[in-house]
Parts: sequence; structure tokens; C-alpha cells
Amino acid sequence: MRPLVNVARLHAIRPLMYLGLPWAITAFSLAVNLVIFGAGPVSNTHRYTGAASITFIFFLFMGVSSVGRTLPFGMALGVSRRSYYLGTALLAVTLAALDGLALTILQAIERGSGGWGIALHFFRVPYILDGPWYLTWLTSFVGLALLFGYGMWLGLVHRRWGQPGSLIFLAAQVTVAVAFVLLTTWAHAWPEAGHFLTTLPAAGLTGLLAVLTAALFTGGYATIRRVTI
Amino acid sequence: MTHAISVAGLSRSYRGHLALDRVGFEVATGSVTGLLGRNGAGKTTLLRILAGQEFPSAGQVLVCGASPAESDRVLSRMAFIREDQEYPDIKVSHAIRAASWCYPDWNAELAQRLLADFSLPPDRAVKKLSRGMRSALGIVIGLAARAEVTLFDEPYAGLDAPARQLFYDRLLAEYAEHPRTILLSTHLIDEAAGLLERVVVLDRGRVVLDAAADDLRGGAATVSGPVLAVDDFIAGRSVWERRETGSQASAVIVGPLGDAERARARSLRLALAPLSLQQLVIHAAARPAENTLEQIGA
Amino acid sequence: MAGLDEGAPLFAQIAERLAAEIADGGLAEGERVPSTNELAAYHRINPATAAKGINLLAAGGLVEKRRGVGMFVAAGARRRLLEQRRAEFTERYVQPLVAEARRLGIDINELVGIVRNSSDIKVNDVEGDITV
Repeated sequence: MRPLVNVARLHAIRPLMYLGLPWAITAFSLAVNLVIFGAGPVSNTHRYTGAASITFIFFLFMGVSSVGRTLPFGMALGVSRRSYYLGTALLAVTLAALDGLALTILQAIERGSGGWGIALHFFRVPYILDGPWYLTWLTSFVGLALLFGYGMWLGLVHRRWGQPGSLIFLAAQVTVAVAFVLLTTWAHAWPEAGHFLTTLPAAGLTGLLAVLTAALFTGGYATIRRVTI
Repeated sequence: MTHAISVAGLSRSYRGHLALDRVGFEVATGSVTGLLGRNGAGKTTLLRILAGQEFPSAGQVLVCGASPAESDRVLSRMAFIREDQEYPDIKVSHAIRAASWCYPDWNAELAQRLLADFSLPPDRAVKKLSRGMRSALGIVIGLAARAEVTLFDEPYAGLDAPARQLFYDRLLAEYAEHPRTILLSTHLIDEAAGLLERVVVLDRGRVVLDAAADDLRGGAATVSGPVLAVDDFIAGRSVWERRETGSQASAVIVGPLGDAERARARSLRLALAPLSLQQLVIHAAARPAENTLEQIGA
Repeated sequence: MAGLDEGAPLFAQIAERLAAEIADGGLAEGERVPSTNELAAYHRINPATAAKGINLLAAGGLVEKRRGVGMFVAAGARRRLLEQRRAEFTERYVQPLVAEARRLGIDINELVGIVRNSSDIKVNDVEGDITV
């Protein structure tokens, strides 16, 4: 337990950078949105800017940098790879839950204020972040964790196999996607696939994303086991 | 546990290159051992494996009786200070704080004293430190950790001679007051010679010498003077090197010299100078196939 | 390493220097001998090496341990060391002197004369003191 806590503390040494920055950017972006849209003539058309994606993109970067130079530093201080990974993953999941909650709260405020008074939908994304608050929270949580986990795995692949490794990693993902498309086409299964996607409730999608997240974290763990510094 | 570090049959190969070749040696608990050898001999690879940062290709490594890789228990009792340590974007004080969490025997007061000794500004970003100051930071962490097993990999990069002496002095003081097992890799052998109880010499991935430092001292000497006298004196002895210019010559002879032989050298007007530990190590490394210890008569 | 060289094992040199100090009167009988850590710090050597040197003296009966306090010069240590030096004197100093004189063609009478003239040394037999 102790090593895991130490890892979390290690990441949080510069808390403002790690925890505050995404919100600073989001706040700035929201302010910009309000100014731009608020300055124009009053209108009732709903504008969806979905710039809450800033937080999501940020989690991707956080994942990558969480296995940047903090990893060799942590290992030098005697943290095993296993502890480092678990500690970081726990931190990621905690942050995802907290930031997801914050997004949910902000969305509620937005809804309650009629889109900040100007029908602006900054925190509300149709279909995905559009339902009851607990689903918004769950989906945000899973989405943020997914992106962090993906970033971690990518960062670890890069550390272990360098640039060629990262390229192969990305190429492999593209290949899988292409193979999926080809397979679906060959099996003439597009109608079924389309039907499946359009009738899938948001909660179902969240479930799929959760499975993908678990797979990503597992992949990252397998990669860190033999990382050397 | 008599041996804090125990290495047997350790090999590590990278694509086409054998960095360590069946390395085996032991480090007694609470002793100071020098890991010596030229650049590229394999010292850093060996230390990284001991610290669990790199994996062996073959062989066994035990630290405090267990394999270090991925063992939180063993790793928390070990400090590894390397010259090319990567730090995240943090300040000196952050690095010190982080270290204080991770080492159970950390001494904060010692850390502060050492920071002052090396004139390290706590608020400076680590990435803005000069090479010497980064080394000093590593040394501060390594000493204040008071880890049972402390590994140093040429920790003095960029430090000038006075700062290096400060390191040796602090290391000695700390070791005297709080004994621990120390493995120090260096190629500045003579500077640290007094501290080392044992030396393990690597050359091209192999152990070529593993002996007590005191067993080696006095084991070889340079004899110099008039050519004929030198050749007369060295006849029948094991000679490592012989050079001459004009009517003068100098040779490195191996094996202990008794009082009678010394007197004879004096009578022949020959100068005798013992080989320093550094020179002994260099010669031993250059002759991996020979049994240096036997020749020295240790 | 203050005053130590690479010509012989360090522990032996430590023992020799302390013995010389005792023989020369620098360390009196019953006086405390520097501790292992003090010697190590001064000479910049490993404390284990310093300890080995002191133990060598202890084995020879020249210093003794007083539990909890430290190592002290044993009674009669100085006398024993001077006796030892006297025994070695001939082989160490006189024989090389004679051999060198022979090489230079100095005969024995001339040699004795040189020794007498060149020294202001008085050897006080009773005390074993050497005053210059």
C-alpha cells in the first residue's frame, strides 16, 4: 500500500500542473465561448460547442506524461514497476471520478441556467453526455479513464520500443480497425452493425467503453513489466 | 546474512553484444567495495541489474537474500545513484521530499546539511542544474537515504576535485557512523582507494580481478634507473612492462619485494616505486587471461 | 590518505605509524590511542582497515582494550618496541651503511671517523632516549 501512495504523491508533486491545468483551460475556453456567443444577438438556437472535450484530451496527455520522466525517477527511488503502474492507475481512476463529477455538476448548472442564459451547450454533448446525471458521471468517468489508460500504454510502448515501436503500435490499431471494416463488409454485416449502434443506449456504449478501458490498462501493465530504464 | 549482494553466472546480452559474461562475485554486508573498470566494461549494466532496473539474460542476482527486480521489499532497502538519472520537471526540494517518502531510514537533517555542503539551491528546477549540481543532488539523496545497500555509479560526473573530496569525506563519515553495504563504481580509483576494502574489476563484461585492496597493495612496483642495472634486477622476475630510452629503463615487476631485494635495488642505484591501486587495476584488466592475484603473491 | 602510500597494505602502515608514535614517545603508556573512526577520518581510509591496524597492535600486546572507553597503550609497549628496533638496527641501518662504504672504497677506520664526526647524536643508554 505504501508504495502506491508514494506513487500518487510523486505525480502530485506539482499539483497545479497536474490537476488544475485542465480546468484552467476549460474555464478559459468557457469564458471565450460566453463572450463570443453572448456578444451576438439573442437567439434561441441551441449551440453545442462540446468543448468539454478539452478535459478528455487533457487526460490523454496526462496518461502519456504519467509514464514520462516520473517513471525512471520513481524506479530510481525504489518503486517497483508493478507498484508504479498500480499507483498511477489508481490515481487516474480517482481523477477520472472527480473530474467526471465536476463535469456533471457543471452540466447541471448549465442546464439549470438555460445554457448560461444564452442556450450555450458547453458541457452537454448529445447522446453521450445527455442523460440523467449519474449516467453523465459514469460515462465521463469511463471516458476519462479510457483516454488516460490509452495515453499510458502509448507512453510505455514508446519508452520500451522507441519511435519505431510507437509507430507499429498505432499502425496495429489502424490495421485492426481496417480489418474490422473489411470483415464487416465481406460478411455483409453493415445493416446489423448499423442497427446495433443506433439502438445501443448510452449506458450500453459506456459498458463497451469500460471493457475497452480495462483492455487498455491490461495492455499497459503487460508493457511495463519489462520496461528498463 | 553475510553477503548483502550475491551474483552468480550473470550474463546480459544485447543484440550482438555481450555486455556481461558470466559475472560472479559477492559483497559482504557492511563493506565498501569498488567496482572498477574502463568505460564500457559493463559496470553500469551490472549496477542497473542489481537495482532491478534491467533484467539479466542469464544467471542469478540476490540482494539482501532475494531477487531485486520487482521486489518492493528489497528495493526499499536499496539506493541506486547513477550519473544519468532522469528527473521530472521538479525542483531540488521536491526531489528531496520525494526521496524522503521512499526510503524508510531517510534522515532529513542530514539531507539539509548536505544540500548546504554542496551549495545546492532548494528552489532551483532540477533541469536547470549544471551537470555537477545534478550529481551533487544524487549524492545528497544517496547518502541521506541511509539505505542498507547503497550503489553508486560514477556519481561524481561534473564535480570538481574539491567537491569530489567532499563526497568521499561525507561518504566515509556516514559509513563510519551508520555502516551499510556500499558498492562504488568509479574509474578515478586512486581518489577513493583508501575507502575501498575490496575491488572487483570488470573488463569487457568479465570479472578479471576480485580481491581485497590491501592484498593488492605493494604487489607490484616500477623499478627504474640505468638500463643494465634494471635488466639485471628484473632477471627471473615476472615483468608486466618494460620501457627504455637512451641509457635509462623502467620496468614494472610483479610480486612482493623483501628488504634484501630493496637493499639490492638501492645498491644498484635503482629507484623503486610501488604501483598505485589504479595502475594495478589497469594492468590486471589488460591481462584478463592471467591470474593477477597469484602473480602478486597475495 | 594522509601520509600513507600504496607500497604496503594500509592496515600494516597504520599499525607501523602508531607503533612509531609509541616508540618515539608521542603516545605515552596508558594514553588513549585514536579510535578507529578518528584514524579513518584522518587518513581518509575505511574504518575497517583502521580497525585491522589497531587489532594488529593489540595482537602484539602493544595496545589493550578498556571496555567501553577505547584502546590504550599497554604498559611496557615502548620498551618492547625499542628493543625490537635495536634488534633490527644492525640489519636495517648498519649493514647497508657498511655495504655502501665498501662500494665507495671507504675503509672501516675512515667509516668510524665519519660517523663520529658527522653526528651530534648522543645515545643515552639508560633511558633509551634519543636527544639531538
